[in-house]
Amino acid sequence: MNLNRASLLTILICLTMAFIIPPNKITIYLVGDSTTSNKEVKAFPETGWGMPFTYFFDSTIVVDNRAKNGRSTKSFIEEGLWKPVLEKLKDGDYVFIQFGHNDEGKTKVGRYTTPEEFRSNLIKYVIETRSKKALPILITPVARRMFDSNGLIKESHPIYSDVVKEVAKQLHVPLIDLDEKSKELLQKFGPENSKWLFNYVEAGEHPNYPEGHKDDTHFNELGARRMAEIVLEQVKELHLGIAEHIRPPYPTKK
Amino acid sequence: MNKNGLLLCLLLLTGFISQEKKYIKVYLIGDSTMCPYEPKQFPIHGWGMPFANFFDHSVTIDNRARGGRSTRTFIGEGRWQLIADSLKEGDYVFIQFGHNDEAKEEKYKERYTSVPDYTTNLIKFVSESRAKKAIPVIVTPVTRMSFDAAGKIKETHVEYTTACYKVASEYKVPLIDLDKKSRDLLQKYGSDNARLLFMQLEPDEHPNYPAGLKDNTHFNEYGARRIAELVLQGLRELNLDLVKRIVIPPSKLQK
Repeated sequence: MNLNRASLLTILICLTMAFIIPPNKITIYLVGDSTTSNKEVKAFPETGWGMPFTYFFDSTIVVDNRAKNGRSTKSFIEEGLWKPVLEKLKDGDYVFIQFGHNDEGKTKVGRYTTPEEFRSNLIKYVIETRSKKALPILITPVARRMFDSNGLIKESHPIYSDVVKEVAKQLHVPLIDLDEKSKELLQKFGPENSKWLFNYVEAGEHPNYPEGHKDDTHFNELGARRMAEIVLEQVKELHLGIAEHIRPPYPTKK
Repeated sequence: MNKNGLLLCLLLLTGFISQEKKYIKVYLIGDSTMCPYEPKQFPIHGWGMPFANFFDHSVTIDNRARGGRSTRTFIGEGRWQLIADSLKEGDYVFIQFGHNDEAKEEKYKERYTSVPDYTTNLIKFVSESRAKKAIPVIVTPVTRMSFDAAGKIKETHVEYTTACYKVASEYKVPLIDLDKKSRDLLQKYGSDNARLLFMQLEPDEHPNYPAGLKDNTHFNEYGARRIAELVLQGLRELNLDLVKRIVIPPSKLQK
């Protein structure tokens, strides 16, 4: 009798717990700059690739886009943006790390990071992520729209992309070479048509940019989604665990 | 004395309130080219989705458009009545139908609406909006992507766009010729590049459509925004009062 009651109680408790405690969701943190970050409506149609990327996974995955406009590996740490990510990280989470655009800008005090500092900062992100049993993924900085006079895409992050690759090799971190892949995509579009991937707006077209806008660094909705698709393709190629949790297909009508 | 002071304060306050813009709603009624979509269906977007971001805080865009609806089924399912009941003075109703009204194939007979019926239904939307002192705006159906062998964009809604014009002129309804504007836009992109605006996906490109997709009717996020911009341009040309509520960038406000 007593035993029965005890086991019944255990079962009841287990059942209750199962409903109360949410299933352990994996979080993918995105840390980086304006090419990844979420945008305010007033900046639309500018779009970071993290925005469409958020929708690529099933309900067991949460994408937490912590990327912020204008940040380098250095200022992201110094402004206290990295610490709260580190504190929340848990076993099995991911950290996608994409910096470079602001690190390499020599004129901007507070952001500029020498290649050597860039290297040690990346190592810090990787080691601290691993200390929480989470998985770091290094991403080379996405390309800018820069073509030479022959219509060939130019290298936009020569030194900094190499540093990312070196750190990935040295510490055995999965690497997504977004710089290379995005250059291939921009080359496919060519010097003129690649504007359709960036925040190019004619005067009078969009209320947020009444006088028009030309931006060879930041994407529009289409460019951001195409970049996010590249990152996803690489997630599959690297056979990361989260590749098993990509959103199931939408049932299309016959 | 005190009472007078209070009265003065009240008067002043009322003055401030009346200067503040009245809150209005803009209802969007139409089909899949306009309606909202969920992330599981992305990157498909109706043009009503980006359109909602073009206005200041005094405007609420209420996108009631639904996929597969013609003027007839939109009314038949009671969708219009709900809107007609809640319309307030100064609200707007943007009306864009045609894609499903004109579907003549047997499998679409539930939605098919003849041109005379389509005309009658448009008139119903217009007069019932006006009965509530709301402002109807007729939008001709956005074009499909269809180019001839010479690379010239084809007109895909001839009869139904003509019907829109007839109703607009007879009832003096503001009209945005989105059919024409979108054909001009597609022509600018050309037959190859216009695909960038539509739900055209390579196999394995996007997780929602692993088999890929070749859709010449529905827009992706980029196309939807480009189309929404055309509607906004049309709105500016009409110079309706709503233009005063288009969002102004913070940098311009300070000047």
